[in-house]
Amino acid sequence: MGITDLFSDFLSSLTFTEAHAEAPSEEKNESSEESNDEGKDDEDKEDDAGGDQGEEEEEEEEEEEPEDVKPKLEEECANSKQCAPFKHHFDECVERVTEASEHADGKKGPHEDCVEEFFHLAHCANQCAAPKLWAQLK
Amino acid sequence: MCFRSASTEGSTAEAASSPFTTTLGSAATALAIGSIAWYYHLYGQEVHAMTPAEEGLHPTKYPWEHTKWNRTFDHQTLRRGFQVYREVCASCHSLSRVPWRALVGTTHTVDEAKVMAEENEYDTEPNDEGEIEKRPGKLSDYIPNPYKNDEAARAANNGALPPDLSLIIKARHGGCDYVFSLLTGYPEEAPAGAQIAEGMNFNPYFPGTGIAMARVLYDGLVDYEDGTPATSSQMAKDVVEFLNWAAEPEMDERKKMGMKVIVVTSILFALSVWVKK
Repeated sequence: MGITDLFSDFLSSLTFTEAHAEAPSEEKNESSEESNDEGKDDEDKEDDAGGDQGEEEEEEEEEEEPEDVKPKLEEECANSKQCAPFKHHFDECVERVTEASEHADGKKGPHEDCVEEFFHLAHCANQCAAPKLWAQLK
Repeated sequence: MCFRSASTEGSTAEAASSPFTTTLGSAATALAIGSIAWYYHLYGQEVHAMTPAEEGLHPTKYPWEHTKWNRTFDHQTLRRGFQVYREVCASCHSLSRVPWRALVGTTHTVDEAKVMAEENEYDTEPNDEGEIEKRPGKLSDYIPNPYKNDEAARAANNGALPPDLSLIIKARHGGCDYVFSLLTGYPEEAPAGAQIAEGMNFNPYFPGTGIAMARVLYDGLVDYEDGTPATSSQMAKDVVEFLNWAAEPEMDERKKMGMKVIVVTSILFALSVWVKK
């Protein structure tokens, strides 16, 4: 968002721009071209098989493709130096609580959970991952 | 005593620093400090009525493009967001304050919006015999609710009412950041020791951390027509921006108006300065 954007926004707010609600008339041509292209792709990929099978394969490929980067980024951040103290506390808490729950048959101590430690770690990791995530989203 | 008798000859200041007054002064000072310490012990600590888990994790601030003061909604995003709402959210959540006509020129063309409206049935006015019939939807109709009423919604959702999403961005503390974090923030497993009621899911961002809504956005759930990879965070981002539009459809106009106000007042100010000169 540079200063040039400010001026272009400024200009567009002064001049009258028309928003078109109607679909552009060229759409039909484009769609027919696209369908032609798709047909060609199918033929290139599989000469023997029918068009349906080709389409199915394409769909499968598409389904495999998208993978969210958010968990990955957050894990990297959680393991980074920045969040090391929070990670340390959380891991220690998990160890303590799981141990306590395993040996809790006879004893009646106060119930402990790691929600607070988890919050601190998640807050740190999310804050670190937020700008990186936004750079990759559309 | 000998020292005292000797000091009586000295100035009055020396007399004031006799052992008795020294002790008294020290005791008074100790009392003063002690009373402050006691006061802070009793009242000084901040009192929290809720635990952090009950408050919920505060959402991270994301650098939303459309919330910047000279930026508008991205209409490609709105279109994708509406697709996510329609294919995912609409099975439980209503969007009762948005009519189909509002989509025209925002996310869809007139024809597309008409087709979507006609897919739904609405009640007609009573006919000559007083019967209420069904007719296909028109642009002026509102987006239909998934349930007949709140009770039906509760009954279908294990007693939890899915809130209407028309104003959800305005209605929740944290707005866009909160809804985005909530949608994408389901951890793979709840942290050790956390207690979750039956039929509930752990989400750190939801106050109380137990939410009836399970995670809904999984990678590749929706097929975007513009070819954008439908990762769960992409879908969440799109639907949140769409819901922000649903809550504040006037945002673009408002910012434009703000710009106009700046232009007009700056012109008038400049004029007044030249006139005064």
